[in-house]
Amino acid sequence: MKRPVGTLVLAALLLALLALAALACGGAGLGWGTNGELLMLRLPRVLAALAAGLALGLGGANQQGVFRNPLADPGLTGVFGGALLGIALLLAGATEFTWQHRWALPTAAFAGALATSAALVWLGRGRSTSKLLLTGLGLNAFTAAGTLLIAARFPEARDILVNGAAGDWLGAATLELAGLPILGCVVAALCLLTQASALDRMALGEDMAFCLGTDVAQTRRTGVLLTALAAAAAVCLVGQVAFIGLLAPHLARALVGPRHRAMLPLAGVLGAGLLLLADTLGRSLWTQTPVSAAAMTALLGAPAFVWIAARRHA
Amino acid sequence: MREVLLTALRLSVDLADRTVLDGIALAASAGEVVAVVGANGAGKTTLLRACAGLLPEATGDLALGGIDPRQTAPATLATLRAYAPQHPTSAWDYTLAELGSLAASPEAFHHWRARFGLGALEARRLSELSGGERKLAHLCLTFSALGDAYGKVLLLDEPTTALDLCRAELVARAVRANAQAGAAVLVATHDLAWARTCDRVLVLSEGRLVAAGPPDTALTAELVRATWGGA
Repeated sequence: MKRPVGTLVLAALLLALLALAALACGGAGLGWGTNGELLMLRLPRVLAALAAGLALGLGGANQQGVFRNPLADPGLTGVFGGALLGIALLLAGATEFTWQHRWALPTAAFAGALATSAALVWLGRGRSTSKLLLTGLGLNAFTAAGTLLIAARFPEARDILVNGAAGDWLGAATLELAGLPILGCVVAALCLLTQASALDRMALGEDMAFCLGTDVAQTRRTGVLLTALAAAAAVCLVGQVAFIGLLAPHLARALVGPRHRAMLPLAGVLGAGLLLLADTLGRSLWTQTPVSAAAMTALLGAPAFVWIAARRHA
Repeated sequence: MREVLLTALRLSVDLADRTVLDGIALAASAGEVVAVVGANGAGKTTLLRACAGLLPEATGDLALGGIDPRQTAPATLATLRAYAPQHPTSAWDYTLAELGSLAASPEAFHHWRARFGLGALEARRLSELSGGERKLAHLCLTFSALGDAYGKVLLLDEPTTALDLCRAELVARAVRANAQAGAAVLVATHDLAWARTCDRVLVLSEGRLVAAGPPDTALTAELVRATWGGA
């Protein structure tokens, strides 16, 4: 038998150790600095990676649950792309305004993510889940192209958007800038945890879930909203990063089974751990030319994903 | 006079540009097993789904335990009727124990699992069961959703398809037991032998009700020939 609580506690302990290690590692040398100045330098980045990973893991698990498809991931279905496009549109239209108001960027990201998240559900209505995923891939390509178009047309936004598309924003995190997105990640994560029993029944198909008393339309709407919130907040911190939303729920399911009450919190903890590990390795292994969290995530995540896909039951 | 639990009048459903159900009238009372028969595509599944409240676009009068399922919240509806789809699925590979924890009453699920001969398979995953065992596992969810069967409506879409004779007989007995406990049961089936043992039979053809009544009067040789063709 699987022990969900024990596994979750163990994963949380490992995450705490990893966070301590992440605070002590980096290009400026090991340790926290004589007066803790290195600690204060790295703390925002570590907190941002933890919060974004938590939101990504839970957001991916929710999208997989709502769409009943193990390949759903807000990073692949265009929700992240939408958030980034929202940011790009804001930067193109009102650069000064954006930097004067701390809430402007997260709000634009949320609007973009919500639009793609809703479009995904609306365009995919009554379709098979594989068609829904294809719709998501189309949305993802479209939003990515839109962001690149804006990056090419508006030189003042180019660097920041190109970095965002590469998932390389974590390095720029400061406590001031990251505060609101971190809060968004945590709120989204906590709300997503409440969806466990509805998602469990959604697995049996929308007809059966409805007949067992689950409000399917409400579950879908809540999923759209919370996934968009999680994705927008995470994108503000990291930029575009795929694979965490795919990998964390898979690992969680393999460890504690598919029941969402056990699997959701673990997916969040694993998501946080994966993103923090990827970011810490990326900036510690190559101190002169750090590798982005997104690249490291794919580097670690892709082989793990292939290994999981090759096994059954995942 | 037994309590009427399910009534439909002029019930029609248009899906895309096709009329799938056309002016159906039916009633099912507590204690009654009503078979819904007809060729493939006759509208059996649509009729059951409409009665379950799954088709808000259905037109006409529909009452389930005295209320309109199209206007009722899912949680309330779940206390009035249970439904078993023709092709149950699960996106995740639950073990039978995990599947049972999704039931309205895990204890009732356990009871039905034992009754259907799946008692020892608690740790088995759905993917490790045979097709028939998987179908039975999902039927356990439906039966355990009712709790106390009295006054409830049970809607079963081909519950014995994919089952061997012995298992099909177990399901037929479970259906009868639910009716005796006070449920009204509507069961779509291709098994005309089973339909002949039911209290009443509704014969559908191309979305219309072509015959209704006790098996002897509804399922005449002439009608069977006209509906299913052949010799």
